[in-house]
Amino acid sequence: MFIFAHRRTLSLLDGEYGSVFKGRSLDFDELRTYVPGDEVRDIDWKATARHGSPLVKRYVAIRRHSVLLLVDTGRNMAAEALSGENKKDVAVHAAGVIGYLACRHGDDVGLVHGNASASRYRPPKSGEEHLERLLRDIDSSISPKTHPSDIAEQLDYVLRFIKGRMLVVVVADEVLPDARTADLMRRLRARHELLWLTVRDADLAPGPDTPGQQDSMDVGTGHGIPLPLAADRAVRAAYERAMNERAEQRGALFRRLGIAEQQATGSDDVLTAVFALLEKHRSGALTSRGGAKRGQGAD
Amino acid sequence: MELTYWWILPLAAAAVAVSTLLYLRRRRPLPTRPVAHGDRLTGLPEYQHALRRYRIRLVLAALLSALFLLAAAITAARPALRSTEQPEIRNRDIVLCLDVSGSMTSTDAALAAVFKDLAKEFDGERIGMVIFDSSSVQLFPLTDDYDYAQEQLTHAEKALVDGAGWFFDGTWNGEGSSLIGDGLASCVQSFPDADTNGTADTNGNEDTKRSRSVVLATDNFVSGASIFSLSEAGALAASKNVKVHALNPSDMDYGDDPGQPGAQLKAAAESTGGSYSTLESPDAVPGIVRQVQETEATSYLSAPRSVVADAPAWPLGVALLAGMGMLVLGRRTGL
Repeated sequence: MFIFAHRRTLSLLDGEYGSVFKGRSLDFDELRTYVPGDEVRDIDWKATARHGSPLVKRYVAIRRHSVLLLVDTGRNMAAEALSGENKKDVAVHAAGVIGYLACRHGDDVGLVHGNASASRYRPPKSGEEHLERLLRDIDSSISPKTHPSDIAEQLDYVLRFIKGRMLVVVVADEVLPDARTADLMRRLRARHELLWLTVRDADLAPGPDTPGQQDSMDVGTGHGIPLPLAADRAVRAAYERAMNERAEQRGALFRRLGIAEQQATGSDDVLTAVFALLEKHRSGALTSRGGAKRGQGAD
Repeated sequence: MELTYWWILPLAAAAVAVSTLLYLRRRRPLPTRPVAHGDRLTGLPEYQHALRRYRIRLVLAALLSALFLLAAAITAARPALRSTEQPEIRNRDIVLCLDVSGSMTSTDAALAAVFKDLAKEFDGERIGMVIFDSSSVQLFPLTDDYDYAQEQLTHAEKALVDGAGWFFDGTWNGEGSSLIGDGLASCVQSFPDADTNGTADTNGNEDTKRSRSVVLATDNFVSGASIFSLSEAGALAASKNVKVHALNPSDMDYGDDPGQPGAQLKAAAESTGGSYSTLESPDAVPGIVRQVQETEATSYLSAPRSVVADAPAWPLGVALLAGMGMLVLGRRTGL
């Protein structure tokens, strides 16, 4: 498993991804006329015979790609996930799985994380030790006492400061992107490969037999939500309607932007969610190759 | 309205204050689960609506519990009603003194019927009954066993209406008939604590403070020699603080000669401070008895005495209502 790249890598180091450079690989790219200096063994003799002048075969060089983990480490991530775990654990788990896949694939892994007030960047490097450091970074910076989350800051940071093409994997919660965020996502999608893994938020109005039978506290605002209110039948019905609507809005937005998005409810299904995300991204690549710029129908 | 243990109120206030203080100081935040994007729920108009109702209910519950505490504290402080009462109204002794000579039976029957009815309302009064003709028989002594008195009065009424039978046994042992003086004297003697000295005990013990009255029904037609004359019996009654209310069904007096039987009876009755009434028919008996009762009632109001009675009903009622309100709220709110 690896993250499929729609576009060729700009990296110079050897790897597994098709590069913008020519080199030695199994991936035939083109024929061109021989110029002095080309290696004689590259000459395609059959083509030369048909053509009359020497032609050389050119292959796509395979190079490394950089995977950039873009993780929300604001206060919101210290809250509860749908499974009842801490979203932080789910996020670390997801980042770990993606990073490990990238490591095994021989890619570099970098990290951008932060909250509404600041973003931090750890440049891509190879090796599991580096990945370990990144995961520790994520783990230590998420706490209920940090600044609130704003994923738009991190998106903006990547757009502003990170040159080159990367495989950007966003790990965030169930935020409903506003217009500015959507615009940033669109621009990011145009420049990089963008994958979006959503860690689902806790059910705010759980039914009587489900976990979460206690008062809730919004980590963002600090307001409490008394359980009797959340358990109220009318409120629950309205909440369910609103959540369906919200999920539809989110789905429509990601579809419109052509970003592969997958949701993980807890640590248990992080693995399946990541694989489904990679598969979705790859197949989205196949179907939207032609119209990748506008990206209709990523799934 | 006053509080017997008024100091409980500041004590309760202090207890509430201290416990509130302790609670506030030791309160640990309830375990809550942190969630993100709470506006997913809190932004809903349904939630806002529910929140408003929830707040109202909480405020109501707080008010109710405050009310409950207040009512409980007031109850603990023993609210009492201080009132002035005239308890003497009800400690009368009445002896029915019935002349059962032949001419009197219908009046006697009416009297017995009236007192049978009155006995139902008695509370504290004692009633006794003596019948006499030439000798007197105590039918039943002064008693507050109203069931018994009523039963006896029923018997008496029946016998008096029938006009014959064992009921009259023992009333002809003397010589002559209708010995009113003797009859009245024995009625007066039937007050159990009769003073042996024969002097009115005006400042004496509790029992002589009970008002005493004799309802004497007679026509005062004496035949035969009695031991007590009517006036002597009247004097005896007066000396024992007994008022004699005489009912005469057949006042045949003509003119104002004091020697006539009606006038004698009137004089004797009034000498004891009692009253004298003539009856046109037995039907008038109830009215006259009521009248006598009323004058008795008014004339025996003693000095008002202050009485302190516990009145826990309303604070307990308020506490009960508040508690029930809290239960209902608790059920609906899930507190």
